[in-house]
Amino acid sequence: MVHALEEILHLLNPEGCLIDIHPIRKAPLIQIHRGDDLLLAESDPGYDYDEGLRHADDALDEVVRRASFLIEGKSEFEVVTYASSVAEMRDYWAQYGAFDDEPKDEAVTARQDEIYARADDLMRSNEGAEITYHERARITRLKPQAWR
Amino acid sequence: MTIRVDPENNEPNALFAVADFNGRRVLEIGCGDGRLTWRYAEKAAHVMAIDPFEGSIARAKENTPEDLKSRVEFRYVSFDDFAAASKASTFDIAILSWSLC
Repeated sequence: MVHALEEILHLLNPEGCLIDIHPIRKAPLIQIHRGDDLLLAESDPGYDYDEGLRHADDALDEVVRRASFLIEGKSEFEVVTYASSVAEMRDYWAQYGAFDDEPKDEAVTARQDEIYARADDLMRSNEGAEITYHERARITRLKPQAWR
Repeated sequence: MTIRVDPENNEPNALFAVADFNGRRVLEIGCGDGRLTWRYAEKAAHVMAIDPFEGSIARAKENTPEDLKSRVEFRYVSFDDFAAASKASTFDIAILSWSLC
């Protein structure tokens, strides 16, 4: 990752900037709402990329330590995905999961199935309910320092 | 209803709070299906959006709004291959779009 960041340094105009957006190290939330009522809120047990995110944080720290980049600002924001059914939400995330070569842990898959089954029951028994998926991300602006 | 992602525009608002895209040459690394690209592309002079997943790039190309086709280029390529073939100082803004992990 550090190598990639230093390659970006090479591609950037010295007056330019690098913007990194990646999730924070906290499992996304699956929620069911009906109007203002929160009917379900569970962490996604499929969150299994903590190590990758730690490496990403470490890589940013390393290029700053090397004085390749200077952090000019950072903040956090939330991305919420809305679906009208549990199946629709699962299909959507399955598209992204298809890119993941890592085999899924059976216990994790079973826990996910259990949460989504509960979510499905709530959706069916509460007309007008909506399922949402909440991810928090950090955005960091970095200024090139040592152009090579 | 179909899937709606970030209808509150939290992500583009966070992006616009840290950079001015007007007239800039932008490289987006890990553009996926172009979900974020469409949000800022109309401001930029040119966008090079790359992703190592062919299916994502195919969807991005297919869904490119007509008015953005002249300024957005989607490429199915790994970052390493792209960087090796690119000239120095080509871009004003580089975005790592959920891809540094």
